[in-house]
Order: sequence, then structure tokens, then C-alpha cells
Amino acid sequence: MRWISSVALTVLALLMPMQAKALEGDREIFPAKGPDAGHLVVHAATDLAAMRPLIDDFQNIYPNIAIEFTDMVTNDLFRQATKVCAGEAEGADILLSSSVDQLVRLANDGCAQPHSSSETKGVPAWANWRDEVFGFTFEPVVFVYDRRTVPPEDVPVSHDALSDLLRRNPEKYRGRVGTYDIAASGVGYLLAFNDSRQAPTANGRLLETLSRTETVIRCCNNEVLGELVAGRISLAYNVLGSYAYAAARANTALGIVLPRDYTLILSRGALIPSRAPHPDLGKTFLNYLLSVRGRRVAQEKSFFFAEDAALPAGVDGPAALVESGIGRPIRIGPALLAAQDEIQRKTFIADWMELIGRTRSDR
Amino acid sequence: MMPHSTSLFARLMRRVGVVLALGAAALITAAWFYARTAANEAYDRLQLGAAFQMSEGLVVADGSLHFVLPPSAFELLGLAQRDRIFYRVVDPSGTTLTGYPDLAPKIDLAASRIGPIFTNGSYLGVAVRNVAVSRAMSMPQGTGWAYVVVAQTTEARQALASELTTRAVILVAIMSLVAVIGTALAVRYSLQPVGDLGAALRRRDPQDLTPLTVSVPDELSPFVTSINHFITRLDERVKLLQRYIADSAHQIRTPLTALSAQVSLIDEEKLAPDDRRHLQRVQSRTTELARLTNQLLNHAMVIHRFDSIHLEPVALNDVARKALRNAVPITVDPDIVVSFEPADEELTVLGDMLSLREAIANVIDNALRHGVAAHLEVHVRQRGNFGVVDVLDDGPGIQAADWAQVTSRFYSSRSDAEGASGLGFAIASEVAVKLGGQLRFRERTATELFCVSIELPLANGGS
Repeated sequence: MRWISSVALTVLALLMPMQAKALEGDREIFPAKGPDAGHLVVHAATDLAAMRPLIDDFQNIYPNIAIEFTDMVTNDLFRQATKVCAGEAEGADILLSSSVDQLVRLANDGCAQPHSSSETKGVPAWANWRDEVFGFTFEPVVFVYDRRTVPPEDVPVSHDALSDLLRRNPEKYRGRVGTYDIAASGVGYLLAFNDSRQAPTANGRLLETLSRTETVIRCCNNEVLGELVAGRISLAYNVLGSYAYAAARANTALGIVLPRDYTLILSRGALIPSRAPHPDLGKTFLNYLLSVRGRRVAQEKSFFFAEDAALPAGVDGPAALVESGIGRPIRIGPALLAAQDEIQRKTFIADWMELIGRTRSDR
Repeated sequence: MMPHSTSLFARLMRRVGVVLALGAAALITAAWFYARTAANEAYDRLQLGAAFQMSEGLVVADGSLHFVLPPSAFELLGLAQRDRIFYRVVDPSGTTLTGYPDLAPKIDLAASRIGPIFTNGSYLGVAVRNVAVSRAMSMPQGTGWAYVVVAQTTEARQALASELTTRAVILVAIMSLVAVIGTALAVRYSLQPVGDLGAALRRRDPQDLTPLTVSVPDELSPFVTSINHFITRLDERVKLLQRYIADSAHQIRTPLTALSAQVSLIDEEKLAPDDRRHLQRVQSRTTELARLTNQLLNHAMVIHRFDSIHLEPVALNDVARKALRNAVPITVDPDIVVSFEPADEELTVLGDMLSLREAIANVIDNALRHGVAAHLEVHVRQRGNFGVVDVLDDGPGIQAADWAQVTSRFYSSRSDAEGASGLGFAIASEVAVKLGGQLRFRERTATELFCVSIELPLANGGS
């Protein structure tokens, strides 16, 4: 049974080299731990490293399910899902993406199927739209700094403090601040868009400052963090807390700050496509992600933050994140459609690029 | 006679039920329309607000049209939490600026220049509510009209409409139930006098031909008037008939006496034995006829007396003795022993001496004719508040089953009996009832004789 399906998979992969190429992601197959009885296809804009413990634990519960996991950039995932929805490609059983606005757009266009279970009932209202898009993580958006080059008195504790710091020491930090390339990263765009809505004036000032300090932009979280670890930059702005914490655990030189004026909180989204080949498997996996056990594993091994848990050790931030009003969850709902508007996106990215991108260093 | 009987209550309830059901259906339909309109209006305003906000996002800068989509518009639309949102922004040249290019509801966009236009339609296979708004844009090449079309799925509208409808349905159901119960009670209450009237008619004595005196609602009074009118006519007829019979009897008596005298003048000795037997039969029939005529007269007299005379105290021993003397003929069979046993103390009843004597005499006469073998006893005694005259004989008596019938006129327990007129018990019973008492029978047993009693209430209340 098991080898037959493996062969089938191989043949499938050989027969469709075009599609495999189109996915443009890192694909990994987790064979079933027991007799193979199902094949779950996951398309994710989420680091495999973060998902590995969850997949492993899931397969402990369901040893008969093999998982084919493809990690993509958010924009690729969205393009692929749109194609699948139009019936032009073979799709996944579940989509996981940090760019929830894209998932909301997919659901709005009728590309999702609803799912309701005891697990989905536990999802807070801000992280559930139409029982079609669910937020399954709790990830503050943080500043990361390098203790080796940023003295403690320089550590910015708010967006304004960051602006001030860069204004006061333009030479020291020139080319040493990094952030997302919002044109390449859907989640980067989502965060920048929400920043502009949360504090329009302060954000404008910050962007202007960032542009003057010749900010380094990189496609993804890990590349930004990589620059930081390598010592090429000193400060990273708008990094997802989970990646930041994983990096900080590996390298004690990195410090994490949750801004005290406001901290965006992103909940990574999950969606069952309407054309999922095995929607039941997708729903089983979604139930696991939303279950108490899944959340515990996620908090301990993958994403480190949780709504109902204290901040992880070593993270500088307010204690009661959501209750204090500092934590601002990005509500999964129709308002995110505004971010997905074509013109809006083009204009926003163009404006942003004009400010930041002209200093872009394509190394 | 009615072909089939139905109850007024059922008829009324059926009709009221039909009216209520129709009313409830109409109300629920109205409520549904109202709820749908209300839900549409509520969410239409949000949708229109969002569309206006979007149209505000259109700006002319550097000679070209720019659009900034305000997220607040989507937050407004997001108040219908589960509903999907589609939109399209059309620039003055008619090309889609942004949004869903294939969103094209059946709306004449030019008409929306006057005011926003709402339509229902479908998009991507789901029902949606569309709104189109317009905005005049001053472009370098002249003023043109830009349009914003916003479509929203109708889940929230339907949810609100069905919630409102459900509440209305519950209210209507409760009201209908209350109305049905109320109607049932009201109908029962209204029909009560009909039942009362029926009961009053049922309770009446068969002999009672006086008009009804029950109080009834106005609607029933014609009915009661008719009944009373009928009773009065019946009463007149009965009285007329009785008077006719009495008059006839009176008229017959004179020729009958003459006939009797003539028959007795016939010398039997000269007759052949056959003829003699025939003569005897003639004599016997003549006597019978005379007695019947007498009884008819007596009966008429008894009835008429009660219509006119005033009751007075009568000594029961006295009247019983007189009746016995009257009823037992001198020619009575000498083998029959007749005994009279008066009460120890004088019993007084309120009555009419003549009627009472006739009544007792008729009972004794009946016993002598049909009952007695060798023994007749007449006792007067007190039983509770009643003075009782018992007439006992050693005959076979009357079957208990026949007791009710023997008191009706012209009934004879033995149809073959010679000279049975059947008026005797009727007279006795009528007199007893008129005086507030009754005629009773006691069966013959091994130790007791058959007994007919006339019970009459004592004048002084039995003290």
C-alpha cells in the first residue's frame, strides 16, 4: 500500500513537471507512520521548520496519513490558489498562509469551503471569517535588534522611539535597518498596510526616517533575520515574533521588543479550498491545528506566542498584550479586502517603494 | 326534523377557526414582507454608506483619475459579518478602474446619476444585493461620471428577516391561541341560556301546560314566546276537549237513565232463555256505560274544580269513610270482607272534599272490580309528613312494570276486562298530584297484600 502510493506520487511528479515547477516551493513528503490510508496535501506560506513539530505530532495521532508539504512565498501561494479555484490546476487540501488578506480574498471569491467543528468554535471571533478562514496562531509583530551593535539605551520600545533613534543617529544606523520587501512578500504588505492604518502620522514619519537611513529590504522574515545574525544590520523592523524568537533562541545576541505604542498581532490563516481533493483530511488537519493539543505544540515548539499564555522568556514587552489595548489583532474579515484591492495595492507599494525602495540594495 | 344534528358550538368554532387561520396567514405573510423590507433597508443603508465612502476615494490628481479604497468602507460592509463583498469602480470612460471587472448587475449606470439604485441579482452563483452610486469627476477633458457598484451577499439580510419573521410568527401564534380559547369560552357562555331553556323544558311536568317563565336573552325570547304561544293553544285545546267530553257525558246521562229504566221494565219471565241472557248483557253494558259516563264527568269535574276552587282543611278519616261508603255498593258480594281502619288521631290535609272523595272512591272501586278475591281493607294513617290512605286487596295486584301506565287515562292492565274504563287511577293520581302528594303502589308479597296508597301532605306540616 505504502510503496504503491509512493510510486504513484513519483509518477505523478514525473508526469507533471510543469506544475511541480509552477509551485516554486520547497516540497517535502512526510510518509505515513503506519499503513498509508490517506494523502494530505498542504500548501503553506509558513516555514517548514515551524511546521515540522506540528506535522510530526499530527502524524502521531493519525499515523495513517501521509503529508505532502509545499512551502511557498505568500504571493505564489495566492496565485496558485486562484488558478486552482478557476479550475486551472490541481490544488491542496488545506492552505496555510501568514498573508490572511489573501485568504480572505479567496474566501470572498468563493474559493473556500466552510468547516464547523468543536475545535473551530474555540477560535476567537476576530480570527474566524464565515467559518472559512481561521487564524490558528498568535504572532506579535516585533522589533529585533543585535545586542552587539545596539546599546541598551538605544533599544527602541515604540514606533516613535525607533523614528527618534534613527533621526538622532542617522550615520550609525545608515544601511543597518532591515525590513520586508512588501512587493515580494504578501505578509510584509499586510503588515505595512496595517501600520499605515494604525498610526498614519507616526507611520509616515517612520517611513520617511527609514528611507533616509537607507533601509535594507529582503523578501522574507528569515532573510532579514539572516542579515541580522550575520551582523550586516543592527535592527529589524516588523518581523513576525515567532521567527524572531526562534532566531533569538539560536543566537543570544538577538533581542526582541514588542513596541509599547501598539503591537500588531497576526494570526496565520488556514483555509480549506473549495476544490480540495481530500477536504476531509484538510479538515482533520485544521481541527488538529485549532485543538488544545495542537495549540500547545505550536506554542512550545513552533510559534512560541499564544493569546492565553505569558510572553516567552527574554522577550521585552507589555505583560497583558491584548487586554492593555497595545496588542492590535489584525481582524480576519472583509476589511482585509481593502488591502487586496488591485489599485490600492499598486498605489501603496509604489508609494512605499518610492520612499524605501530607491535605497534598495540588490545584493 | 333536522337531517343531521350539529352543535352550535362546533359550527361557531369551525368558522371562527377558519377566520383566525386566514387572519394568521395574512399577518404572517405581512410580517414576512415587512421583515424582508426592514432587513433590506437596514443593510441597504450600510451598503449605500460604503458605496459613498468608496466614491469619495476617487480623486483627480495630475490630470488623471486616482482611487484610494477606504478600508472603513469594508468595515462598514463587514457589519454584516458573514457576507461576501464585491465591488467595481468604473471611470468616466467606462472602463473598470478596480474591483471585480465582471460584476455587472442589471443596472443602468447612467440612471444612478439621479440617485443610488438598488437591485437584487446574483454574482458568482450566489444571491447578492447591488447598489450603484455615481460621482461627477472634473477631468481635464471635461466633467465625466464615475460609478461605484457594490454587491453584497444576502446572508445577514436573510438572517435578520427570518429572525423578525420568527418573532412575528410566535406572536401571531400566541394571539391566535388566546383568540381561540377566548372564543370557545365566549361561545360556551353565550350558548348557556339555550341549554338552560332545554333543561327547563325537560324538567316540566307532562301535565303542566302553563307558559314558561325562564329568563332568556333577547335573541331567544321569540323562541320562548313561540313555545308559550304553542303551550297556550295546546292548553286551550285540551280544556276544550275535556269540556266537550264532559258535556257529551252529561248529555248522554239522561237518555242513559231512561234506557236503564226501560230495560228494567222488561219482564224477564216472559222471555225465552236466550233472550233473557241477551237482556242481562244489555243490563250489564248499560250499567258499565253509566259508570263510565259518571267517571268522565267526575274527571272533568275534578280537573275543573282545581282551576276554580279554594283549598280547605279536610279530615282524612272522614273523607275516606265517605268514599268507602260511596264505592262499596249495597249489592256487593256478601263473601267479600270489607274493613275500614281509621287513623288514631285526626289527620288534616289541605284539599277539596269532593275531589278527594272521588279519588279514594275510584281506587276502592278499582280494587273491588279487578282485585279483590275475598278481602278489602282501607287504612288511614300518618307516614312522616304525609297522611296516607291505603287500599289493600288480596287480589294478584298490578305488575310493577305497569304502574307508570295505569295512571294515564284510558289504560287498562287487562284489555279484555269487562267494564274496565281505566279512568280510576288517572283521577286518583291527578288529584293526589294537584294536592302536592302522589299515588303509590306496593307489590303483593307472601306476607303483605297488594296496596295502592294516596299520599297527601298534612295541612299543619305534620307537627
